[in-house]
Amino acid sequence: MMRAWAVALITFKEGIKNRVIFGIFIIALLLFAATTLITTLFMRDIVKVAVDLSLSTVSFAGLLTLFFVGVNLFSKDIDKRTIYMVISRPISRSQYLVGKFLGLLLLALTVGFLLGALSALPVIMSKRFYYYTEARFAWDVFFIAVVYIFIKLAIVSSIITFFASLTSNSFMTLVLAMVTYLIGESTEGVRSLLTSGIEAQTVSPLLSSLVNIAYYVFPNMSAFDLKTQAAHGLPVSLAYMSWTALYALVYITAVVAAGTLFFRRREFP
Amino acid sequence: MMTVVAFENVTKDYRTGFRKKKTALKDFSLAVKEGEVFGFLGPNGAGKSTSIKILLNLIFPTSGVAEILGTSAGNAEVRRFVGYLPENPYFYDYLNPMELLQFAGKTSGMLAGDIRERTENLLQTVGLWKERKRPIRNYSKGMVQRTGLALALIHNPKIVILDEPMTGLDPIGRRQVIDLILKLKSEGKTIFFSSHILEDIERVCDRIGILVNGSLVRTLTVASEHLDKSLEDVFIEEVEKAGGIQQ
Amino acid sequence: MRALLIAILVLALALAANAVAITKVSRERDALKKEEGTGLLFPSSIAKIIALEFKGLVADALFSRAQTFYGGKLMRKEDLSEEEWSWIYKSADTATDLDPYFLDPYYFGAVNLAWEANRVKEANTLLEKALRYRTWDWTIPFYLGFNHFYFLQDNEKASEYLMEASRRPGSSSLMVDLAVKLSYKVKRTENAIIFLENILKRTDDEKLRREYETRILALKRLLYLENGVAFYREKFGKKPKGLEELIQRKIINEIPADPYGGAFHLDAQGRVSSTSNFMTIYTHK
Repeated sequence: MMRAWAVALITFKEGIKNRVIFGIFIIALLLFAATTLITTLFMRDIVKVAVDLSLSTVSFAGLLTLFFVGVNLFSKDIDKRTIYMVISRPISRSQYLVGKFLGLLLLALTVGFLLGALSALPVIMSKRFYYYTEARFAWDVFFIAVVYIFIKLAIVSSIITFFASLTSNSFMTLVLAMVTYLIGESTEGVRSLLTSGIEAQTVSPLLSSLVNIAYYVFPNMSAFDLKTQAAHGLPVSLAYMSWTALYALVYITAVVAAGTLFFRRREFP
Repeated sequence: MMTVVAFENVTKDYRTGFRKKKTALKDFSLAVKEGEVFGFLGPNGAGKSTSIKILLNLIFPTSGVAEILGTSAGNAEVRRFVGYLPENPYFYDYLNPMELLQFAGKTSGMLAGDIRERTENLLQTVGLWKERKRPIRNYSKGMVQRTGLALALIHNPKIVILDEPMTGLDPIGRRQVIDLILKLKSEGKTIFFSSHILEDIERVCDRIGILVNGSLVRTLTVASEHLDKSLEDVFIEEVEKAGGIQQ
Repeated sequence: MRALLIAILVLALALAANAVAITKVSRERDALKKEEGTGLLFPSSIAKIIALEFKGLVADALFSRAQTFYGGKLMRKEDLSEEEWSWIYKSADTATDLDPYFLDPYYFGAVNLAWEANRVKEANTLLEKALRYRTWDWTIPFYLGFNHFYFLQDNEKASEYLMEASRRPGSSSLMVDLAVKLSYKVKRTENAIIFLENILKRTDDEKLRREYETRILALKRLLYLENGVAFYREKFGKKPKGLEELIQRKIINEIPADPYGGAFHLDAQGRVSSTSNFMTIYTHK
């Protein structure tokens, strides 16, 4: 796996030097600054609003990075023929794909953790500004939420890897990955909508089973959204964290493995 | 002498339309011996790059077998002994040759110390040592080509495969590449390269293969057959025999 | 050279015209927005799906929008229509469906919906939701208790809520005391004063503080008169025919003024009342 790791490093280096990353960081910093202003619009739950904005910024920046730099790191190899210099080394197709995936992961990790750390600043400021007695906030839950944002980004990385293994068209990869992300964020909501009281009676069984299938096939992204917990200092159990981490690991493995199966037969004329 | 590169009845078809296909290589068979410098000659689109890419497992043969050192070309491990310079090399824009060579060395299983030593040697040889910290984005075509050569040779491969290595080089550069090839030959390496510059092929090759429309129409040893005809004449004759260049 | 001059001239004209145009446009926009009134709302279940992973953020935005609208009306000294209050309630409801721990909409609903819009049922529905989720927060059952006592005249329920409040961290012993007092159903005015003084302590908003202070003053004066009437009954064995009798009998010096502008008097049942609004809300079911 040293070879996959070498590919990962080279992918990461190429990605991190991309100007787009710089722009994303600027956007994130501006949003952090805006957070301190926006919280003044609220009466009591100021810290909650600061956490909402900060963590959403981190998540948003991570997604932008993966969708606009990450996807590109795959397609550039094909478009610009840089893949020749990699595949002509003693690297198998699978090692290459896994290496690219790890490179995306490193990129997401860097952006996620750097911005995650910075996101603490607006929260600290809002806490100094006003923290009413019945407010609840805990730093450990906040940073667990940041870690979970990274886990979610890891899943998105694996999805991008999967679609990139199917098509060399960057637009297709982007659209498919985005749609999968959107579906992944909605499956839990739609599923509970269809099983709740009124709707349960009027929904067709076909739709019901389709939604259920989607729930199992697409990643349940909501499981990794702990922003509400972070905003109100609600505890996250060890059992929850164990199961969700396991789910992420297994899902990522399955998706990347599937990708390597497709990628083996790809040719680079 | 053992065969280091072998093509056995390799055919490669491409689908170009709904039911149309183009045959890039037709029943191609060839054996390159150890220590040989084999030159590949042919008009554009003849299948030179195709056969090279099959060797490097970039594309798969429709039928037939390609082997390197007795192992299938599909086996990634065998590429530890192969150095490859693609036709129009591209590298990661934001990186510099040092980083690229580091990557190349690691993936070919070299030790860190060796990588450092050979990097310096190679970059000095190709004349890029001064620019080694500049990212490839800022390189001229010639400099990119030379970086490619360094990447192909960093791991001291037994077999060197060059696809049109003279592209983008000025006469001095071309001379340097020829000298390099001759030097590699003296080190006992096997060199397999394609070109359409006849003089260069004549200069360095032991054997030459002429490829026209996907078929290997003639192989000849450089020493012979020049008594009566020039290589150019032989080449044109074979192309005409094959019925001209088919697109 | 000429081309440059023309370019500068065109730019200057365009800038000037832009200044004029934007002033006109902002006037038109203001007029249009007044017509538009409130904004688009989705039912909670749909909102939850559309919000994806940004539910908290959407909740913040939704509620902020409602609050800003309310604030604008307040600044222009305009009253809100029933529809507009409904929209505010629905905004708070959807916001708290997206983030059920979000205090601001609950607080806003509890105070403004109940007092200004007289929509106590809706205020209570919101607070009930808060009760289920903000389990560590004693102020929720406290406000529920107050609403049931003051607006719905349901002492029993109020008492239950106060007991719930007493079980939550941070509450004072007052909760239990008050719960017990309420269970007796008497001394309504006294209990109302205790409740309101406690709410006043927890209120920072200047405007709200003044409102509460006025209300407390009115209730204290009411209590003063009620005590006077009770004293009269005890002493003379019968109900006084009017508050003037209390002055005649030297029980009180004068009838205090109603800070809401009405006049204190005795109603047909012999209870102290006032002609102003404050009494109607106080006894409203």
